[in-house]
Amino acid sequence: MTDARPAEPIGHTPDTAAATAAREHLTEMLIRTGEEDRQAFRELYTLTSAKLFGITFRICGERQAAEDVLHDVYVTIWKRSGAYEPSRASPITWLATIARNRAIDWRRAQTIRRSSPIEDAPDIADRAPLASDTIVADQEAHRLHACLDGLETRQREAIRTAFFDGTTYADLAVQQNVPLGTMKSWVRRGLLKLRECLDG
Amino acid sequence: MSGHTPPPGAHGPDSAGADPDVAAAELALGVLDGGERAVALRRVLADPNFARAVETWRAYFAQLFDLWPEMAPSGAVLERLDRTIDAPVGDATTAPRRASLLWPAIAAVTSLIAASLLFVVLLRPAPVAPPAKPVVAAARPEILVAAIDAEKAGGPVAAVYDPGTGGLRLTEARMAQAHQSAELWIIGADATPHSLGLLRTDGTTVLRVSPVNRAQLAAGATLAISLEAVGGSPTGLPQGPVVAKGTLSRV
Repeated sequence: MTDARPAEPIGHTPDTAAATAAREHLTEMLIRTGEEDRQAFRELYTLTSAKLFGITFRICGERQAAEDVLHDVYVTIWKRSGAYEPSRASPITWLATIARNRAIDWRRAQTIRRSSPIEDAPDIADRAPLASDTIVADQEAHRLHACLDGLETRQREAIRTAFFDGTTYADLAVQQNVPLGTMKSWVRRGLLKLRECLDG
Repeated sequence: MSGHTPPPGAHGPDSAGADPDVAAAELALGVLDGGERAVALRRVLADPNFARAVETWRAYFAQLFDLWPEMAPSGAVLERLDRTIDAPVGDATTAPRRASLLWPAIAAVTSLIAASLLFVVLLRPAPVAPPAKPVVAAARPEILVAAIDAEKAGGPVAAVYDPGTGGLRLTEARMAQAHQSAELWIIGADATPHSLGLLRTDGTTVLRVSPVNRAQLAAGATLAISLEAVGGSPTGLPQGPVVAKGTLSRV
Protein backbone atom coordinates (compact mmCIF):
# COMPACT_ATOMS: atom_id res chain seq x y z
CA MET A 1 0.00 0.00 0.00
CA THR A 2 2.56 2.52 1.08
CA ASP A 3 5.44 0.89 -0.71
CA ALA A 4 4.36 1.91 -4.18
CA ARG A 5 7.51 3.92 -4.41
CA PRO A 6 8.43 3.20 -8.02
CA ALA A 7 4.99 4.42 -9.14
CA GLU A 8 5.10 7.52 -6.97
CA PRO A 9 5.15 10.65 -9.09
CA ILE A 10 8.43 12.37 -8.50
CA GLY A 11 8.47 16.11 -8.52
CA HIS A 12 4.75 16.75 -8.27
CA THR A 13 5.51 19.82 -6.28
CA PRO A 14 8.86 20.70 -4.76
CA ASP A 15 7.38 20.03 -1.29
CA THR A 16 6.22 16.55 -2.14
CA ALA A 17 9.49 15.67 -3.81
CA ALA A 18 11.44 16.86 -0.78
CA ALA A 19 9.17 14.92 1.57
CA THR A 20 9.61 11.77 -0.49
CA ALA A 21 13.37 12.16 -0.52
CA ALA A 22 13.44 12.79 3.23
CA ARG A 23 11.34 9.72 3.85
CA GLU A 24 13.55 7.53 1.70
CA HIS A 25 16.63 8.80 3.52
CA LEU A 26 15.03 8.07 6.87
CA THR A 27 14.01 4.59 5.73
CA GLU A 28 17.59 3.91 4.73
CA MET A 29 18.93 5.16 8.08
CA LEU A 30 16.44 2.96 9.93
CA ILE A 31 17.32 -0.13 7.90
CA ARG A 32 21.03 0.52 8.42
CA THR A 33 20.39 0.96 12.14
CA GLY A 34 18.87 -2.52 12.04
CA GLU A 35 22.24 -3.69 10.69
CA GLU A 36 23.88 -2.17 13.79
CA ASP A 37 25.34 0.79 11.90
CA ARG A 38 26.12 3.34 14.62
CA GLN A 39 26.63 6.20 12.17
CA ALA A 40 23.17 5.61 10.75
CA PHE A 41 21.71 5.40 14.26
CA ARG A 42 23.22 8.80 15.13
CA GLU A 43 21.85 10.27 11.96
CA LEU A 44 18.46 8.75 12.74
CA TYR A 45 18.60 10.31 16.19
CA THR A 46 19.51 13.71 14.78
CA LEU A 47 16.65 13.56 12.28
CA THR A 48 13.93 12.28 14.59
CA SER A 49 14.71 13.03 18.24
CA ALA A 50 12.94 16.41 18.26
CA LYS A 51 9.79 14.78 16.90
CA LEU A 52 9.90 11.90 19.34
CA PHE A 53 10.78 14.15 22.27
CA GLY A 54 7.78 16.32 21.40
CA ILE A 55 5.68 13.19 21.80
CA THR A 56 7.20 11.89 25.04
CA PHE A 57 7.24 15.37 26.58
CA ARG A 58 3.61 16.06 25.91
CA ILE A 59 2.44 12.70 27.24
CA CYS A 60 4.81 12.46 30.22
CA GLY A 61 4.34 16.10 31.11
CA GLU A 62 7.78 16.55 32.64
CA ARG A 63 11.17 16.96 31.06
CA GLN A 64 13.17 14.44 33.06
CA ALA A 65 10.66 11.62 32.63
CA ALA A 66 10.25 12.50 28.95
CA GLU A 67 14.02 12.26 28.43
CA ASP A 68 14.19 8.95 30.31
CA VAL A 69 11.42 7.58 28.12
CA LEU A 70 13.11 8.99 25.01
CA HIS A 71 16.31 7.18 25.98
CA ASP A 72 14.40 3.91 26.33
CA VAL A 73 12.66 4.52 23.02
CA TYR A 74 15.97 4.83 21.16
CA VAL A 75 17.41 1.80 22.94
CA THR A 76 14.35 -0.10 21.69
CA ILE A 77 14.89 1.31 18.20
CA TRP A 78 18.54 0.25 18.28
CA LYS A 79 17.60 -3.29 19.29
CA ARG A 80 14.48 -3.73 17.22
CA SER A 81 14.95 -1.74 14.04
CA GLY A 82 15.72 -5.03 12.29
CA ALA A 83 11.98 -5.68 12.61
CA TYR A 84 11.02 -2.57 10.66
CA GLU A 85 9.16 -3.37 7.45
CA PRO A 86 9.10 -0.41 5.05
CA SER A 87 6.02 -1.81 3.33
CA ARG A 88 3.90 -1.59 6.47
CA ALA A 89 4.53 1.89 7.81
CA SER A 90 6.52 5.00 7.06
CA PRO A 91 9.65 5.19 9.19
CA ILE A 92 8.47 8.15 11.24
CA THR A 93 5.13 6.48 11.92
CA TRP A 94 6.94 3.41 13.19
CA LEU A 95 9.24 5.47 15.40
CA ALA A 96 6.49 7.77 16.65
CA THR A 97 4.27 4.81 17.53
CA ILE A 98 7.01 3.35 19.69
CA ALA A 99 7.52 6.72 21.40
CA ARG A 100 3.82 7.25 22.04
CA ASN A 101 3.29 3.73 23.40
CA ARG A 102 6.30 3.97 25.70
CA ALA A 103 5.24 7.36 27.00
CA ILE A 104 1.71 6.12 27.65
CA ASP A 105 3.10 3.06 29.46
CA TRP A 106 5.12 5.39 31.67
CA ARG A 107 2.14 7.56 32.34
CA ARG A 108 -0.20 4.72 33.19
CA ALA A 109 2.40 3.39 35.62
CA GLN A 110 2.26 6.66 37.56
CA THR A 111 -0.15 6.60 40.44
CA ILE A 112 -1.01 10.27 40.23
CA ARG A 113 -3.46 11.07 37.50
CA ARG A 114 -2.84 14.32 35.67
CA SER A 115 -6.13 15.92 34.85
CA SER A 116 -5.00 19.22 33.39
CA PRO A 117 -3.13 19.69 30.15
CA ILE A 118 0.58 20.40 30.36
CA GLU A 119 1.30 24.09 30.64
CA ASP A 120 4.48 24.46 28.66
CA ALA A 121 4.01 21.94 25.88
CA PRO A 122 3.79 23.58 22.48
CA ASP A 123 0.33 23.70 20.94
CA ILE A 124 -0.82 21.12 18.47
CA ALA A 125 -1.64 22.50 15.05
CA ASP A 126 -5.25 22.32 13.90
CA ARG A 127 -4.55 21.34 10.35
CA ALA A 128 -2.09 19.12 8.65
CA PRO A 129 0.76 20.76 6.82
CA LEU A 130 0.35 20.25 3.07
CA ALA A 131 3.55 18.26 2.92
CA SER A 132 5.76 17.71 5.90
CA ASP A 133 9.44 17.00 5.56
CA THR A 134 9.44 13.70 7.39
CA ILE A 135 6.01 12.17 7.45
CA VAL A 136 3.99 10.19 4.97
CA ALA A 137 3.81 11.92 1.66
CA ASP A 138 1.14 9.74 0.16
CA GLN A 139 -2.39 10.52 -0.81
CA GLU A 140 -3.90 8.85 2.26
CA ALA A 141 -2.18 11.29 4.56
CA HIS A 142 -4.93 13.85 4.78
CA ARG A 143 -7.92 11.56 4.85
CA LEU A 144 -8.15 11.34 8.63
CA HIS A 145 -7.86 15.10 8.98
CA ALA A 146 -10.75 15.61 6.59
CA CYS A 147 -12.87 13.04 8.41
CA LEU A 148 -12.08 14.56 11.81
CA ASP A 149 -13.24 17.90 10.48
CA GLY A 150 -16.62 16.34 9.85
CA LEU A 151 -17.20 15.52 13.53
CA GLU A 152 -18.91 17.62 16.17
CA THR A 153 -16.42 19.84 17.94
CA ARG A 154 -16.64 18.05 21.27
CA GLN A 155 -16.20 14.64 19.63
CA ARG A 156 -13.22 15.85 17.62
CA GLU A 157 -11.59 17.56 20.59
CA ALA A 158 -11.98 14.51 22.83
CA ILE A 159 -10.42 12.24 20.21
CA ARG A 160 -7.57 14.65 19.52
CA THR A 161 -6.86 15.12 23.22
CA ALA A 162 -6.86 11.37 23.78
CA PHE A 163 -4.35 10.92 21.00
CA PHE A 164 -1.99 13.77 21.77
CA ASP A 165 -2.09 13.70 25.57
CA GLY A 166 -2.41 9.93 25.93
CA THR A 167 -5.47 10.35 28.12
CA THR A 168 -8.08 7.77 29.06
CA TYR A 169 -11.85 8.13 29.19
CA ALA A 170 -11.55 8.81 32.89
CA ASP A 171 -8.99 11.61 32.33
CA LEU A 172 -11.11 13.15 29.59
CA ALA A 173 -14.25 13.11 31.70
CA VAL A 174 -12.47 14.90 34.56
CA GLN A 175 -10.95 17.46 32.20
CA GLN A 176 -14.26 18.27 30.57
CA ASN A 177 -16.16 17.98 33.81
CA VAL A 178 -18.74 15.57 32.39
CA PRO A 179 -19.83 12.15 33.64
CA LEU A 180 -17.72 9.24 32.42
CA GLY A 181 -20.67 7.75 30.53
CA THR A 182 -21.22 11.00 28.66
CA MET A 183 -17.58 11.18 27.62
CA LYS A 184 -17.63 7.57 26.42
CA SER A 185 -20.76 8.28 24.45
CA TRP A 186 -19.20 11.34 22.76
CA VAL A 187 -16.05 9.49 21.80
CA ARG A 188 -17.81 6.31 20.69
CA ARG A 189 -20.20 8.18 18.46
CA GLY A 190 -17.27 10.16 17.12
CA LEU A 191 -15.34 6.99 16.36
CA LEU A 192 -18.33 5.41 14.62
CA LYS A 193 -18.73 8.47 12.41
CA LEU A 194 -15.02 8.53 11.77
CA ARG A 195 -15.08 4.93 10.63
CA GLU A 196 -17.98 5.56 8.26
CA CYS A 197 -16.05 8.46 6.78
CA LEU A 198 -12.74 6.56 6.54
CA ASP A 199 -14.34 3.45 5.06
CA GLY A 200 -16.49 5.42 2.67
CA MET B 1 -20.24 -10.22 20.22
CA SER B 2 -20.30 -6.72 21.48
CA GLY B 3 -18.77 -7.67 24.82
CA HIS B 4 -21.11 -5.42 26.74
CA THR B 5 -24.50 -3.81 26.35
CA PRO B 6 -25.30 -0.39 27.72
CA PRO B 7 -27.72 -0.22 30.62
CA PRO B 8 -31.29 0.32 29.48
CA GLY B 9 -32.06 3.90 28.59
CA ALA B 10 -28.41 4.81 28.96
CA HIS B 11 -28.04 8.01 27.03
CA GLY B 12 -31.24 9.55 25.81
CA PRO B 13 -32.18 9.37 22.17
CA ASP B 14 -29.10 7.71 20.74
CA SER B 15 -28.85 4.65 22.93
CA ALA B 16 -27.55 2.58 20.04
CA GLY B 17 -25.75 -0.48 21.37
CA ALA B 18 -21.99 -0.29 21.52
CA ASP B 19 -20.58 -1.29 18.16
CA PRO B 20 -18.10 -4.14 18.47
CA ASP B 21 -15.54 -2.46 16.28
CA VAL B 22 -15.42 0.67 18.39
CA ALA B 23 -13.44 -1.27 20.97
CA ALA B 24 -10.66 -1.69 18.39
CA ALA B 25 -10.62 2.06 17.80
CA GLU B 26 -10.74 2.74 21.53
CA LEU B 27 -7.76 0.48 22.13
CA ALA B 28 -5.77 2.03 19.29
CA LEU B 29 -6.59 5.51 20.52
CA GLY B 30 -5.62 4.53 24.06
CA VAL B 31 -8.71 5.73 25.93
CA LEU B 32 -9.39 2.45 27.69
CA ASP B 33 -7.95 1.63 31.06
CA GLY B 34 -8.27 -1.00 33.76
CA GLY B 35 -10.73 -3.79 33.06
CA GLU B 36 -11.93 -2.45 29.72
CA ARG B 37 -8.38 -2.31 28.41
CA ALA B 38 -7.73 -5.82 29.68
CA VAL B 39 -10.83 -7.12 27.90
CA ALA B 40 -9.76 -5.45 24.65
CA LEU B 41 -6.21 -6.78 24.93
CA ARG B 42 -7.53 -10.29 25.45
CA ARG B 43 -9.56 -9.88 22.29
CA VAL B 44 -6.39 -8.91 20.42
CA LEU B 45 -4.87 -12.20 21.51
CA ALA B 46 -7.97 -14.27 20.83
CA ASP B 47 -9.44 -12.75 17.68
CA PRO B 48 -7.26 -12.08 14.61
CA ASN B 49 -10.00 -9.95 13.01
CA PHE B 50 -10.10 -7.73 16.04
CA ALA B 51 -6.30 -7.52 16.04
CA ARG B 52 -6.39 -6.43 12.40
CA ALA B 53 -9.02 -3.80 13.16
CA VAL B 54 -6.79 -2.39 15.91
CA GLU B 55 -3.89 -2.24 13.43
CA THR B 56 -6.04 -0.42 10.88
CA TRP B 57 -7.07 2.15 13.46
CA ARG B 58 -3.47 2.60 14.60
CA ALA B 59 -2.53 3.36 11.02
CA TYR B 60 -5.36 5.89 10.74
CA PHE B 61 -4.45 7.66 13.94
CA ALA B 62 -0.79 7.68 12.92
CA GLN B 63 -1.70 10.37 10.42
CA LEU B 64 -2.03 12.70 13.39
CA PHE B 65 1.68 12.36 14.17
CA ASP B 66 2.15 14.96 11.45
CA LEU B 67 0.71 17.61 13.72
CA TRP B 68 2.92 16.89 16.71
CA PRO B 69 5.22 19.84 17.39
CA GLU B 70 8.92 19.13 17.73
CA MET B 71 11.01 19.88 20.82
CA ALA B 72 14.74 19.45 21.17
CA PRO B 73 15.82 17.08 23.96
CA SER B 74 18.97 17.90 25.91
CA GLY B 75 22.31 16.58 24.69
CA ALA B 76 22.48 14.34 27.74
CA VAL B 77 20.09 11.87 26.13
CA LEU B 78 22.42 11.06 23.24
CA GLU B 79 25.42 10.74 25.58
CA ARG B 80 23.46 8.35 27.78
CA LEU B 81 22.35 6.38 24.73
CA ASP B 82 25.94 5.94 23.62
CA ARG B 83 26.86 4.65 27.06
CA THR B 84 23.89 2.27 27.16
CA ILE B 85 24.61 0.81 23.74
CA ASP B 86 28.32 0.44 24.42
CA ALA B 87 27.72 -1.24 27.75
CA PRO B 88 28.30 -5.00 27.79
CA VAL B 89 25.23 -6.99 26.87
CA GLY B 90 22.97 -7.94 29.78
CA ASP B 91 23.52 -10.79 32.19
CA ALA B 92 21.06 -13.03 30.41
CA THR B 93 23.50 -14.01 27.68
CA THR B 94 26.36 -14.57 30.07
CA ALA B 95 24.44 -16.84 32.42
CA PRO B 96 26.70 -19.22 34.31
CA ARG B 97 27.65 -22.15 32.13
CA ARG B 98 27.76 -24.64 34.96
CA ALA B 99 23.98 -24.70 35.13
CA SER B 100 23.78 -26.07 31.61
CA LEU B 101 24.22 -29.71 32.56
CA LEU B 102 21.61 -29.60 35.25
CA TRP B 103 19.12 -27.75 33.15
CA PRO B 104 18.01 -30.42 30.67
CA ALA B 105 17.28 -32.75 33.55
CA ILE B 106 15.27 -30.12 35.39
CA ALA B 107 13.43 -29.26 32.22
CA ALA B 108 12.49 -32.85 31.57
CA VAL B 109 11.18 -33.33 35.08
CA THR B 110 9.38 -30.04 35.36
CA SER B 111 7.70 -30.32 32.00
CA LEU B 112 6.27 -33.61 33.18
CA ILE B 113 5.14 -31.96 36.39
CA ALA B 114 3.64 -29.06 34.52
CA ALA B 115 1.91 -31.40 32.11
CA SER B 116 0.43 -33.43 34.94
CA LEU B 117 -0.69 -30.26 36.70
CA LEU B 118 -2.44 -29.17 33.54
CA PHE B 119 -4.03 -32.59 33.38
CA VAL B 120 -5.35 -32.15 36.88
CA VAL B 121 -6.63 -28.68 36.07
CA LEU B 122 -8.38 -29.90 32.95
CA LEU B 123 -10.01 -32.88 34.60
CA ARG B 124 -11.05 -31.08 37.73
CA PRO B 125 -14.84 -30.56 37.82
CA ALA B 126 -16.22 -27.05 37.86
CA PRO B 127 -15.16 -25.45 41.10
CA VAL B 128 -17.92 -25.98 43.62
CA ALA B 129 -15.94 -25.15 46.69
CA PRO B 130 -12.23 -24.44 46.91
CA PRO B 131 -10.54 -27.74 47.64
CA ALA B 132 -8.62 -27.91 50.86
CA LYS B 133 -5.07 -26.87 50.05
CA PRO B 134 -2.33 -29.25 51.00
CA VAL B 135 -0.01 -27.68 53.50
CA VAL B 136 3.23 -26.73 51.82
CA ALA B 137 6.28 -25.61 53.67
CA ALA B 138 7.13 -22.29 52.01
CA ALA B 139 10.50 -21.59 53.46
CA ARG B 140 12.04 -20.90 50.05
CA PRO B 141 10.59 -18.84 47.23
CA GLU B 142 8.41 -21.21 45.28
CA ILE B 143 9.62 -22.36 41.90
CA LEU B 144 6.95 -21.95 39.23
CA VAL B 145 6.63 -24.14 36.17
CA ALA B 146 4.54 -24.08 33.04
CA ALA B 147 4.08 -26.22 29.96
CA ILE B 148 3.50 -23.78 27.14
CA ASP B 149 1.50 -25.84 24.68
CA ALA B 150 1.74 -25.14 21.00
CA GLU B 151 -1.41 -25.42 18.95
CA LYS B 152 0.43 -26.50 15.83
CA ALA B 153 4.12 -26.84 15.15
CA GLY B 154 6.67 -27.57 17.83
CA GLY B 155 6.19 -29.52 21.01
CA PRO B 156 5.36 -27.90 24.34
CA VAL B 157 7.94 -25.53 25.74
CA ALA B 158 8.68 -26.07 29.40
CA ALA B 159 9.31 -22.97 31.50
CA VAL B 160 10.78 -22.82 34.97
CA TYR B 161 10.84 -19.61 36.95
CA ASP B 162 12.87 -19.07 40.09
CA PRO B 163 11.50 -16.05 42.00
CA GLY B 164 14.64 -16.08 44.13
CA THR B 165 16.87 -15.10 41.22
CA GLY B 166 14.35 -13.77 38.71
CA GLY B 167 15.66 -16.30 36.22
CA LEU B 168 13.32 -17.88 33.69
CA ARG B 169 14.50 -20.88 31.71
CA LEU B 170 12.75 -22.33 28.72
CA THR B 171 13.33 -25.39 26.60
CA GLU B 172 13.88 -25.11 22.90
CA ALA B 173 11.05 -23.36 21.04
CA ARG B 174 10.87 -24.36 17.38
CA MET B 175 7.85 -22.30 16.39
CA ALA B 176 9.42 -19.38 14.57
CA GLN B 177 10.27 -19.55 10.87
CA ALA B 178 13.42 -17.90 9.58
CA HIS B 179 11.71 -14.55 9.06
CA GLN B 180 10.12 -14.50 12.51
CA SER B 181 10.97 -14.22 16.17
CA ALA B 182 9.11 -16.10 18.88
CA GLU B 183 8.38 -13.65 21.69
CA LEU B 184 7.38 -14.66 25.21
CA TRP B 185 4.69 -12.74 27.10
CA ILE B 186 3.45 -12.85 30.65
CA ILE B 187 -0.20 -12.07 31.28
CA GLY B 188 -0.59 -11.73 35.02
CA ALA B 189 -2.74 -9.92 37.51
CA ASP B 190 -3.08 -6.78 35.37
CA ALA B 191 -4.33 -8.89 32.42
CA THR B 192 -1.96 -7.04 30.12
CA PRO B 193 0.69 -8.83 28.06
CA HIS B 194 4.25 -7.84 29.06
CA SER B 195 7.14 -8.96 26.91
CA LEU B 196 9.68 -11.14 28.66
CA GLY B 197 11.96 -11.45 25.65
CA LEU B 198 12.64 -13.48 22.55
CA LEU B 199 13.06 -17.24 22.50
CA ARG B 200 15.94 -19.02 20.87
CA THR B 201 15.05 -21.48 18.14
CA ASP B 202 17.91 -23.79 19.06
CA GLY B 203 18.64 -24.74 22.61
CA THR B 204 17.62 -23.35 25.95
CA THR B 205 16.59 -19.75 26.45
CA VAL B 206 17.57 -18.09 29.71
CA LEU B 207 15.83 -14.83 30.48
CA ARG B 208 16.40 -12.49 33.36
CA VAL B 209 12.97 -11.13 34.28
CA SER B 210 13.02 -7.41 34.98
CA PRO B 211 11.99 -6.32 38.48
CA VAL B 212 8.89 -4.68 37.01
CA ASN B 213 7.71 -7.90 35.40
CA ARG B 214 8.52 -10.15 38.35
CA ALA B 215 5.32 -9.11 40.10
CA GLN B 216 3.36 -10.58 37.18
CA LEU B 217 4.96 -14.01 37.44
CA ALA B 218 2.76 -15.82 39.90
CA ALA B 219 0.87 -19.09 39.97
CA GLY B 220 -2.13 -18.80 37.67
CA ALA B 221 -0.51 -16.25 35.36
CA THR B 222 -0.38 -17.10 31.65
CA LEU B 223 2.75 -17.43 29.57
CA ALA B 224 2.09 -16.95 25.87
CA ILE B 225 4.31 -17.14 22.80
CA SER B 226 3.55 -15.01 19.76
CA LEU B 227 5.24 -14.94 16.38
CA GLU B 228 6.59 -11.52 15.60
CA ALA B 229 8.73 -9.96 12.94
CA VAL B 230 12.43 -10.62 13.46
CA GLY B 231 13.56 -8.72 16.55
CA GLY B 232 10.19 -8.90 18.28
CA SER B 233 7.18 -6.64 18.50
CA PRO B 234 8.31 -3.03 18.49
CA THR B 235 5.13 -1.73 20.06
CA GLY B 236 5.35 -3.43 23.44
CA LEU B 237 2.25 -5.51 22.70
CA PRO B 238 1.89 -8.71 20.68
CA GLN B 239 1.32 -7.96 17.00
CA GLY B 240 1.54 -11.46 15.60
CA PRO B 241 -0.49 -14.61 16.24
CA VAL B 242 -0.28 -16.33 19.62
CA VAL B 243 0.85 -19.88 18.92
CA ALA B 244 1.24 -21.30 22.40
CA LYS B 245 -0.04 -20.68 25.91
CA GLY B 246 0.48 -22.16 29.34
CA THR B 247 -0.33 -21.42 32.95
CA LEU B 248 2.26 -21.04 35.68
CA SER B 249 1.87 -23.47 38.56
CA ARG B 250 3.76 -24.14 41.73
CA VAL B 251 5.88 -27.24 41.65
